[in-house]
Amino acid sequence: MSITTKALYVIISVIVATIYGLALNGVVRKIYARVHGRFGPPVWQPFIDIIKTHGNNVAISHGIMYYLGPVFRLAGGLGTYLFIPVIFGSVVFSNFSLAGDLLLVMYFIFFGQLGMALGAGEGGHPYSPIGIARGLAQMTTFEVPFALSVIALAIQYNTLNITTIVAAQQGSILNWTLFTNPLAVVAAMISLLGMNMHSPFSIVLAPQEIPIGPPIEMNSSFLATLQTNRGLFGAAKLVLFMNLYFGGAAHANIFVALLIMILKTFIIYMFSVFVGAAYPRFRPEQSMRFFLKWPTLIGIASILFVAYF
Amino acid sequence: MVNPIYILILSLVIGFLLTIIDKAGRKLSLFFLYGVLSFNVAVMFIWFYQFAFVGRASLMIHTAGFIAPISINLKLGLLEAFVLLLANLAGLMSAMFLFKKLKETHISGLILYLVLIMGVNGLVMTRDLFNMFVFIEILSISTYALISIDENKRSFSAGFKYMIAGGITSTFFLLGIIFIYYFTGNLNLDTVLGNSSMLAMKTGVFSIFLLIVSIFIELKPFPANGWALDVYQAVNSGITSVIAVVNSAAILFVFYKILPLLPDQYLMVFVGAGIVTFLFSNLIGIKQTDPKRLLGYSSIAQMGLVVAAISYTTKLNISQDLVFIMAGGIFINHFLAKAGLFWITGIIKRSEIKDWGILRNNTPLLLLFGVLLFALAGLPPFPGFWAKWEMAKIFVSNNLYVGLAAVLIGSLFEAFYLFRWFGYAIKNERKEESLKPVDFSQLFPVAVFVLITLLTSVWIMIRVYAFDLINFLPVAAVFGMYLLNFLKAKLKAVLAIIVVILYGYSIYPLETALQSLFGIIFVIGSGIMIITTMNRKGKISGFYGFLLMMILSMGNLIIAKSFLSFFLNWEFMTIAAYLLILRGKKGQVPALTFITFSLAGAYLMLAGFGFMPNVLSSNAIINTIGSIEIPLAAMILLLLGFLIKSASFGLHIWIPGAYAEAEDDVTPFFASIFSKTGIFGLLLVAISFIKHSSEFNPFYWLGWLGAISAIVGAFLATFQEDVKKLMAYSSMSQLGYIIASVSLLSHLGWISALYLTLNHFMFKAMIFVAIAGVIHRTGTRQMYKMGGLIKKMPISYITVLIGIIAVSGVPPLSGFGSKWLLYSSMLEKGWYLQAGVFFFASGVSFLYLYRMIHTIFLGQLKYEHQNVKEAPIYFLIPQVIFIMGIMAISMFPNLIIKPLNSIVGNYFASTIMIDGYNVTSSLGHWNGNMVMMVTMGVFIVPLVFLILFNGRTQKVKQFNIVFAAERPESPQTTHFAHNMFSHYYKALGGLTKPRIQNFWNSVSEWSNAIAGLFRQIYTGNGQTYLLHILLYIVVLYIFLGV
Repeated sequence: MSITTKALYVIISVIVATIYGLALNGVVRKIYARVHGRFGPPVWQPFIDIIKTHGNNVAISHGIMYYLGPVFRLAGGLGTYLFIPVIFGSVVFSNFSLAGDLLLVMYFIFFGQLGMALGAGEGGHPYSPIGIARGLAQMTTFEVPFALSVIALAIQYNTLNITTIVAAQQGSILNWTLFTNPLAVVAAMISLLGMNMHSPFSIVLAPQEIPIGPPIEMNSSFLATLQTNRGLFGAAKLVLFMNLYFGGAAHANIFVALLIMILKTFIIYMFSVFVGAAYPRFRPEQSMRFFLKWPTLIGIASILFVAYF
Repeated sequence: MVNPIYILILSLVIGFLLTIIDKAGRKLSLFFLYGVLSFNVAVMFIWFYQFAFVGRASLMIHTAGFIAPISINLKLGLLEAFVLLLANLAGLMSAMFLFKKLKETHISGLILYLVLIMGVNGLVMTRDLFNMFVFIEILSISTYALISIDENKRSFSAGFKYMIAGGITSTFFLLGIIFIYYFTGNLNLDTVLGNSSMLAMKTGVFSIFLLIVSIFIELKPFPANGWALDVYQAVNSGITSVIAVVNSAAILFVFYKILPLLPDQYLMVFVGAGIVTFLFSNLIGIKQTDPKRLLGYSSIAQMGLVVAAISYTTKLNISQDLVFIMAGGIFINHFLAKAGLFWITGIIKRSEIKDWGILRNNTPLLLLFGVLLFALAGLPPFPGFWAKWEMAKIFVSNNLYVGLAAVLIGSLFEAFYLFRWFGYAIKNERKEESLKPVDFSQLFPVAVFVLITLLTSVWIMIRVYAFDLINFLPVAAVFGMYLLNFLKAKLKAVLAIIVVILYGYSIYPLETALQSLFGIIFVIGSGIMIITTMNRKGKISGFYGFLLMMILSMGNLIIAKSFLSFFLNWEFMTIAAYLLILRGKKGQVPALTFITFSLAGAYLMLAGFGFMPNVLSSNAIINTIGSIEIPLAAMILLLLGFLIKSASFGLHIWIPGAYAEAEDDVTPFFASIFSKTGIFGLLLVAISFIKHSSEFNPFYWLGWLGAISAIVGAFLATFQEDVKKLMAYSSMSQLGYIIASVSLLSHLGWISALYLTLNHFMFKAMIFVAIAGVIHRTGTRQMYKMGGLIKKMPISYITVLIGIIAVSGVPPLSGFGSKWLLYSSMLEKGWYLQAGVFFFASGVSFLYLYRMIHTIFLGQLKYEHQNVKEAPIYFLIPQVIFIMGIMAISMFPNLIIKPLNSIVGNYFASTIMIDGYNVTSSLGHWNGNMVMMVTMGVFIVPLVFLILFNGRTQKVKQFNIVFAAERPESPQTTHFAHNMFSHYYKALGGLTKPRIQNFWNSVSEWSNAIAGLFRQIYTGNGQTYLLHILLYIVVLYIFLGV
């Protein structure tokens, strides 16, 4: 495959995922509004937000690292997405999954987080590092059940290659990890709650305490970059979960496959949304303790289950 | 050739004449005194030379015109000549030390001194039991009298107790003689020895026991030694030194002479009693703060050890050479060091070790003190070290494990109190009057003994163990740099780099690529790091020598051809590291903790090496170890020793202090280079284990230990405010990764171990050097006192940024490679839960890394740092070099993966495939180059987009931030830094309790409490002490089991 074709495929893949991710965010805002008893913004509000913030005349910058923060963040989202094969069997949506396996994806997630944390740090606003300190601390804890669940997968499928993991789940719905290794899926889904940072784990952006946390100093195009990433990165995470636990998206017709992807990821996301809409926020230490208790035990149980039974 | 009997005759004649001579003036008396003492030394020197180098047979001297056993006879052989040469030399030197005292004191002082020395000579040479008794009495009486040379209450009281104890032991000795005469009809030692069958029955053994035990009591065994302790403390240092070494040497020799009378099966009692003395005296020693009393305990302990060594070697009947190295080594070590140290206490005259900071005013004296103290602590290259090495081997080969353990624990106690003293001398800042100029007459004896100590050490290394010259280099470097002390620091640094380059060139090429890898870290890495130290100004004495000592001894580890050479250099390295830590401003306590833990590790290793066969090979030990099967016990001991150096969980409490309090440009050496020696050691053991695996696999547990170290280290790092402590705990955590991956004992595991090692070496070096620059500029280590430095120190920021990306394992830098390898190898091996712990640890590492970079470089700049500049160029050069290293292996992972694959291929069959830049394991794949390209792509696209389509970018000043209804007041209140992870601390709850610290604190407290308890037996009451002696004899007799 020539570099131009690959680049073209990558651009298609990224655009599809970004649009989908942003639209999903719009839907979620609508849902939350309805739960709160409001009418809510239109589904395309995230797009409007991006265009609006991009159109600002002046962009306030606090320094080079601040300038690069959003770049890191979007690069992190892009990279994470690009190392995941989105549609099983599709050349267009295979991205750069040849560069590495699941471990690469898991660690590339940190790339954007770290860069953004540093950029926000240079902003000099105390709420940024407070949010980051919470976010990182929570991240260390929800990563534990997720990592355990991934280890269980690695034992189960004897590989860390995402494509191979998806391949192993084809054939029947009963081949999905959801049914072959339910404990691992439970552990991972609980940590997904933390990753998506909806309530009760919304301690990072916590509007009432540290108004929106890390991005507080971000404005104009910087903010627009972050908002774009929110769509893309959100989609990337959901696609990863779909691939690992819910059989991935596979169909001979690429559009059907995309529909399957949209349907599955939507449902996966709704889990976080429902929980988020129903529960109030934890305090930071409560949130962290939570992940180190039951989800971690479930994760360990999932490993013991596949390794020894 | 002068007949040695003239020593006795001349001493007596001059002794009697001195009262008359003194009428002509004290100068003349002194002339005669020193004349006789010098004559003694000269005679003994000639005889020693004859015996040792010409090969003359022993000399028998008959008296009164008859042949023994009818008359008394004297014997002078090699041993006698050796002991007497030392004793007479110490006598002469002590007299010189006492020059002023002898000038003023009553003439009887001179006479007594002469008689005492004569008594020693007679005691050593005589072969007649009754004559021995006479000489003991002569010796004792002159000693009692001399004890009171300083006319004060304490010395009188001490002398009295000494006399009473001496009296009772003499009585027993006499009783023994009477019985022996009754049974054998003879008192000539050789004849009695020849007829020892006549003493085989119970009463015979009892009579011998009486004889020996009374001599043994004179050697002050624990606990029947209260009478002697006050003497050490109360008496003039010159005399104490005579009592501690000259008297003891003579008595010890008597013990050695009569010991063969006792049948072999009873000798163990004295081995045991000697070891008990060694252990308990040293234990009580840790409570002592008076240097003379401290040395007193040490003397008693050392004599106990010599007694044990002599008794044990006599029992085993082993080769004479080993006896010399083992018993002789301890003896001569004690003899030289103790005499010298007692003299120094006489010069310094401070009765609290805390006040010894004054010693720093006199550098030559400080150096002499240092050499003697290190010798006494049994460190290489001094004789005590070799003695303990042989002792460990002999004890192990005869299954005397309890004895070995007691000796090593005792040694640790001794090292602890000696180094505490040394720490006070080096560090304690006391604004006192400067030390008065030291008289030549007082300095000279010390210098002579130091010289002899050094010469003996060199002699042992060359003649006994035939070491290559390269093993001398670490010590030679210290002396070389001392001689060049007048040079400026920069010049010395350049010189040091040249030495390191030449050294590297001389050991190159190494036999295997594994050695080369560690060579890169130990030698090339050190060479680069020396550049940092070029920022120092002035002369900086006593730094580059020790730095070179550390570097060269680390280099020697990889080419060591025998276990002894390995251990020797290991100890050199430890000494150098200790001295470097001690240089730090607040280095006293951390250095003591470091040396205590390090020596504990060294003694464990010593015991471990005791189990190992002797290796005679022309190849480096790391290459031949595969053919040697290490017994399990040895393996565990060695592993423990190495784990201490790698600051593994439970053994890590020395690391924050040592790293934090060492000078800022020295810490990088410790964190990035020195810490890898432990890993090298682990590999050494592991290579043997994989070739000779046993049923019990200690490495499985080591894997867990590594995992726990990783997570605990990360937690601890997260809650530090001090940036160097944070990085120290980070090292502990990262070393945990390496320990665990070594323990995997698999192909992928070892690739990841070596990859981690190299990666950690580079990123830790650059971060620590960058941090050193920051501390240099801001003058603080507390992170919350900094902030916003990115604008002032951009290059340091970039270094730290690249460093933390490499630590955390975020792609595309080399850190990810290490994480990928680690997890793949763990999963491949089936270590699932361990892998989970590492995932957790690696997550937690983000916390401390973010904390470090944010609180120092981001956030609000403090007003006082407005004028801070970028770090000096010498700090930046190493940073840039290491950045290039990290970037190179990140872009082109094959640079490192391929060589590692072939290194590890020597030990395991390969389980990975390398195709271009694509590495495929049994579980997954990783293409470092492609990751890098993709990352650069996804980074550049948004960046270009932002540059092109962003609105007018406006830079704003500090504090121009979006605060709602509040106003940022000062950087201090706006910078979010202090106690950054308080929520995490709360969340972890009980996990944050410093349990290990508490454990070691209680170990220390309990040791002190037990020492205090045992110390209470010394009531100061002479009657109680007498009771002790009597009871001791009874107990010993019961143990004898006749």
